[in-house]
Amino acid sequence: MSVSVESLNYQSRFSLKEWIFTTDHKRIGVLYLIGSFAAFFLAGLMAMLMRTELSSIGPTITENPNTYNVWLYFHGAAMILGYQIPALTGFFANYYVPLMIGAKDVAFPRLNALSVWLFWMGIVLALLTFVIPDPPDIMWTGYPPYSTMTPGNTALYTFTVLLIGFSSIAGGVNFLTTIMYMRAPGVTWNKLNVFIWCILAAFIIQLIFVPVLGVAVTMLSLDKYLGTNFFNAAMGGDPLIYQNLFWFYSHPAVYVILLPAMGLIYEIIATFSRNSIFNYKGILYGGIWGVVLLGGIVWAHHLYIAGIPDWMALVHVFLTLLISVPVGLMMVGLVGTLYRGSIEYKTPMLYAIGFIFLFLIGGLTGIPNAMSAIYIHITETYWIPGHFHYVMAISVTTAIIGGTYYVFPKLTGRMYHEGLGKLGFFIFFIGVNITFFLTLLMGVKGMPRRYYDYPQFPELEGIQQITTYGSYLIFVSAVIILVSWIHGLVAGEKAPQNPWGSRSLEWTHAPSPPPPGNFPRKLELTEEWSPYNYGS
Amino acid sequence: MSEHSLEHELRWHTSYWPLLLSVGILFLAPLAFTFYFVYNKPFLAIVSLGVGAPLTLISIAGWVKEGMEDIHGYGEGLSVWAMPFFIVAEALLFVGFFAAYWVMRLSAPVWPPAGTPEMPLLVPIVMTIILVSSSITIHIGEKRLEEGDNSGFLTWLGVTLVLGILFLAFSAFEWTELFHEGFNFKTNAYSTAFFSITGFHASHVLVGVGIFLCVLLPALAGRTNVAFVRSASMYWHFVDIVWFFVVSQIYFW
Repeated sequence: MSVSVESLNYQSRFSLKEWIFTTDHKRIGVLYLIGSFAAFFLAGLMAMLMRTELSSIGPTITENPNTYNVWLYFHGAAMILGYQIPALTGFFANYYVPLMIGAKDVAFPRLNALSVWLFWMGIVLALLTFVIPDPPDIMWTGYPPYSTMTPGNTALYTFTVLLIGFSSIAGGVNFLTTIMYMRAPGVTWNKLNVFIWCILAAFIIQLIFVPVLGVAVTMLSLDKYLGTNFFNAAMGGDPLIYQNLFWFYSHPAVYVILLPAMGLIYEIIATFSRNSIFNYKGILYGGIWGVVLLGGIVWAHHLYIAGIPDWMALVHVFLTLLISVPVGLMMVGLVGTLYRGSIEYKTPMLYAIGFIFLFLIGGLTGIPNAMSAIYIHITETYWIPGHFHYVMAISVTTAIIGGTYYVFPKLTGRMYHEGLGKLGFFIFFIGVNITFFLTLLMGVKGMPRRYYDYPQFPELEGIQQITTYGSYLIFVSAVIILVSWIHGLVAGEKAPQNPWGSRSLEWTHAPSPPPPGNFPRKLELTEEWSPYNYGS
Repeated sequence: MSEHSLEHELRWHTSYWPLLLSVGILFLAPLAFTFYFVYNKPFLAIVSLGVGAPLTLISIAGWVKEGMEDIHGYGEGLSVWAMPFFIVAEALLFVGFFAAYWVMRLSAPVWPPAGTPEMPLLVPIVMTIILVSSSITIHIGEKRLEEGDNSGFLTWLGVTLVLGILFLAFSAFEWTELFHEGFNFKTNAYSTAFFSITGFHASHVLVGVGIFLCVLLPALAGRTNVAFVRSASMYWHFVDIVWFFVVSQIYFW
């Protein structure tokens, strides 16, 4: 099938110019991948430093509590803005969307290139944290009044968010247009991959909510450096405006991350179960759109103790509990797809199963948080980071790593080492559960979050130490995963066009790796074609 | 697919401008702002502007030139469909600022707060007339282009540009007057909302003028793209509609 393509030898030579000035969606995707994994590595390093600091009472590796604050800032900001969102809506969206819908490229290839480079400029700004004398120390949330009064550099935070935000908006415009107007004939709405629907939903959320975050952080710098009074209560402003605007974006941002991650898991599970998606339309119209509709009206559950009116808290309790319905629908779809499938436990499938488990814990620990009466007792404790690390940090990372293993043969044209992949998974899975299950437990014991030291809780020192060892285990797994990828890239055997036996376009019609223009032959899809048609 | 077109497809497409533009933006806004306002180093800020501004302008020019030659061509004509998505995002930016304004205003014991001078009411009316007429002129220009009347298009586009610049001039005049009366960013909650929202709107007018320049300059050389003109005028109508909110909320409420 791909004979004529290989005879042309389109990637026999490496050209730096063709990489950094590229407008091809696959290469732009790889640029996203490199940037986001670099951010992941650095932010993970910050987490290791924080965990090491917490492994004993009193100063462990730094005497200066503010250094800890800077680590905390960089960890949160880089993980969310630099790693998760760009890896999912950057790398996976770029790589998969044109391939899955049968297009040659995205609608606006140069705008796409601008997106990735704006993201990289955001990374450059974030890296300045380690160079300047006054690094930001305001967490990734940047709450005023502290952020408008700290000697730390709030402008750096503002502009990092703005650059990456602008990149997201450009990406949103690009991908919505691509998905709506560039599908190949035969790729109809009700036959689209679940991942494409998830990306569509994620970018709709990005388009609506990112601008609001942009406004919020702009106001921070206006207040701090130009003297406006948005958050200055003495002059008629209100710090709560910031918290509302910030979470108006940052809660939906969870779904920007979660939906594409779910989409990846759907692709993996359908392929390795040889099964069509269970309740496909229910997932699309109930699950994904339910999340989009409800996602924007639950933000105040982050503000229960910030001083909002009781009626507002009450409304948001119910809406927040309600959002577990569409999310639950999507979970049932995953498990239902496994049912009576012909399951094959390759590395990506292990990650997908791991995702179901981790996300279930994350989702269930979220239910008490949704209820304001319980929330006031557990807020600001380790319970909260425990919950959100399960629900968005590690479950989504599981999806990203699993998704990368899944796409690896297509991306590189080579196979990874199955044994190394599985070893990495099990160590990762054990490591994250040790670290974050104990974090949840310490939360129940009352350990306050964000603290540099805990002399008032001497009984927690042992458990803190084990948590730290758990985090070292995650680091070990990350090294093994990286080694397996590098090994696959350098020494892996040549990948066939469709090693997984998937029915999706990128595997059935595009060579590994796909050439410029993606599909060497004109796509001719029959009526029966569907990305999940396994004849069952 | 013939062998020849396959070979054409199998080239990795490249463009210099996206990367250069993003570097230009990095120097133009984040670095210049940080040098000036955070570290009080005006010289470095000017250097940063000196690097960023030309780089940005050159990249935009190169980008537009490439777009007119349509090297890539995948998204031909789709910009008309993409612009509404961008406008949604832009609208939400204003929603954010207005939300802050409404919260401050509705929770204030007295409004306008102390320190607010008598606001000019004639100037915003004149500005409204200017902006609405510019929306009409660009619409006429667009129609002329569709009819194939290039010189008519150029004339009406030129009129629109002049009106846009006139609007900015009025805005600048008004700001200066208010500064002289001691009404500035720091005065009170109203000044905060006033300057941020009108300034933010004016920045959109500025971008619109920039977009029209990107249409006008190639058009003078005989290159036009109907889809591009339509998207540009859609953006301009949006900026016009937002102005109604600005006028009604900031000046006449």
